[in-house]
Amino acid sequence: MTKLHFDYYMRIDYSEEVATCNYTIKCIPMQNLRQIPTDIKIELSPPSKYCLGKDGLKNNQIYGRNELPHKMFYYHITGNAEVGLCSYDEVENSDISMVFKHPHGLNKAGNKITEYFNKLQLKDIDSDYDKAVYVMNRFYEDYDYQPLTTDLNTTAEEAFAQGHGVCQDFAHIFIAIMHLANIPARYVTGLIVGEGQSHAWVEILVDGKWYGLDPTNNKKVLNEHIKLGVGRDARDCMINRGIMHGGGLHTQTVKVNVEEI
Amino acid sequence: MERLSLLEHTDTVNELLARYGVKFGIYKNNTFHEQLFPFDAIPRIIEADEFEYLEKGLKQRVVALNLFLKDIYSKKQIVKDGVVPEDFIFASSGYMLECEGVAPIKDIYSHISGIDLVKGKDGVWYILEDNLRVPSGASYPMIAREFCRRSSPETFANLKVEENRDYAELLRRTMDNVNVGGHTVILTPGRYNAAYFEHSFLAEKTGCHLVNGSELEVKDDKLYFKTATGELERVGVVYRRISDEYLDPMNFNPESLIGIPHIYDVFRKGNVALMNAPGNGVADDKGIYYFVPKMIKYYLGEEPILNNAPTYLPFYEDDYKYVIDNFDNLVLKDVAEAGGYGVVFGNKMTKEQKADFLELLRKEPRRFIAQEVIDFQDLDIIDKNEQVPRKADLRAFVLMADEPLVWKSGLTRFSRNPDSFIVNSSQGGGFKDTWVLSR
Repeated sequence: MTKLHFDYYMRIDYSEEVATCNYTIKCIPMQNLRQIPTDIKIELSPPSKYCLGKDGLKNNQIYGRNELPHKMFYYHITGNAEVGLCSYDEVENSDISMVFKHPHGLNKAGNKITEYFNKLQLKDIDSDYDKAVYVMNRFYEDYDYQPLTTDLNTTAEEAFAQGHGVCQDFAHIFIAIMHLANIPARYVTGLIVGEGQSHAWVEILVDGKWYGLDPTNNKKVLNEHIKLGVGRDARDCMINRGIMHGGGLHTQTVKVNVEEI
Repeated sequence: MERLSLLEHTDTVNELLARYGVKFGIYKNNTFHEQLFPFDAIPRIIEADEFEYLEKGLKQRVVALNLFLKDIYSKKQIVKDGVVPEDFIFASSGYMLECEGVAPIKDIYSHISGIDLVKGKDGVWYILEDNLRVPSGASYPMIAREFCRRSSPETFANLKVEENRDYAELLRRTMDNVNVGGHTVILTPGRYNAAYFEHSFLAEKTGCHLVNGSELEVKDDKLYFKTATGELERVGVVYRRISDEYLDPMNFNPESLIGIPHIYDVFRKGNVALMNAPGNGVADDKGIYYFVPKMIKYYLGEEPILNNAPTYLPFYEDDYKYVIDNFDNLVLKDVAEAGGYGVVFGNKMTKEQKADFLELLRKEPRRFIAQEVIDFQDLDIIDKNEQVPRKADLRAFVLMADEPLVWKSGLTRFSRNPDSFIVNSSQGGGFKDTWVLSR
């Protein structure tokens, strides 16, 4: 077990005034077997009365509307999380599990991923968990991390074809391969120890348990990850989403820090 | 004799319809056209006992479809029990993950259902399609009846035809049943929407506000209507035609400009009713249609009163073989399409088209259903002063209020082309009033 402190700051500066803005933020750690969040503090600017709720997958969300003109918007969420309390997460809602067996949105395999999958020869490996770990090890060797070459709409197949991408792409491709192997898999957004950006990884469902695997770092998820949200693909659990009237050009700054305490 | 008198007024009725703006809009090649919806004065007549049978069957079907929707967005028991395969739910574009675990007020998903039927030459009624995403069309026979009465009152003097102007009351009762406290509004995407006439007509007849997205606003988990003076008044129920994807840019398609940000969050917390509930597309998919008789047995333990047209799912191997062997006798439908698009007749394809289609079917069997071509009864219409037979269907409207209600009328659509089976208004068809006799 490890105790982590996290600090998530996202700020947008606008070149012109924003008249109204709607926002949804999915950045509050979930509570489950592997992690327990505590001391969560939420700060928004311009200060507005926000609502708390859960989406269809029980991800926490903060949402609301700014009605006064502003040229800057930020949210700052801090807190602690005890992680690594268990090597897996429980199934929160067994009725939804079957959703994660089916390709959807950005995680669909095309010819190139299918070809790669066929070469992996997973038949010789008995358990689904071992298959997944084997794929993670192989894929880590075969795919490169390279920022700024993909965007939020890049599909697994596109990202695979170009041979490199970021954590989102690693996760989408990995899910596509898991689906080909008939292993239910889902996308996870979260934070990892260190300074930088938010992170993404994958959970696979084996024997009624969700196991976290981080294909970008070739690591099992245990002591270093804080889970914020889950979805079929990145679009289901975007950390923030907003719609504004006015604003002109946007400049976004994200600062994330996670450290052991 | 009496009916003849009405027929003499066909032109008058059509002129009135045009003057009152009874039109529907269609997009062709990305431009918007508004068309008149040609009215034919010869009504479809349904006897009282025949309608009583239809009514029972329609209620049964809609009750089962509502139970199915509730099940799909919660326990999924029908999938776990193997009655409906997973592929037909989770690969369907109508399934919406955002709707998981959200219970609409009183568990009603499909408040307004439009069930399309045809009557075969054998006298048997067949269901062709279920429309559970706020189907349009009720306003046309309503207003046509009004004009027919006005132009030819003598026609109705001695006939025992069920009144159809009560649709507004039935609709209001359906809205009031789920209202959580506040105004009732009809949300329209605007005058460039196919059903704009209907929205404004129903708003007037039910006494509701007709609003567009910019007049509604979410604040503190409640929905408000902005009055002309800028005050906010609470909304308790929204009749909406805006499709699920465009309803709320914060929960669904982020590019929607016509939606209301966070309206689905309000719905999720039970602070407003949406008619119909989002997510219904998973139940009126043409692939799911095949399973509706099975749903009726599964949820209600009853035999279906109304039949589906004989349907095959190439997804199943036996059905796939049957479809290949009997290709020329079948009509094939793309499950994702609506409005008469994506429908092909096996015997009307060229050799190349057929080969291409068979290849597509082999690759994507889940995408199509195949049906026997039903030889349905023609209805007479007046075409250039001549009485000629044409293909016609019936859209019956079932409202789910405190109990299921079937409107004693319906929209009868016909094809103006003598060789066509496709009656959709978007494909140039016309309409008739539907008379249900009261005895």
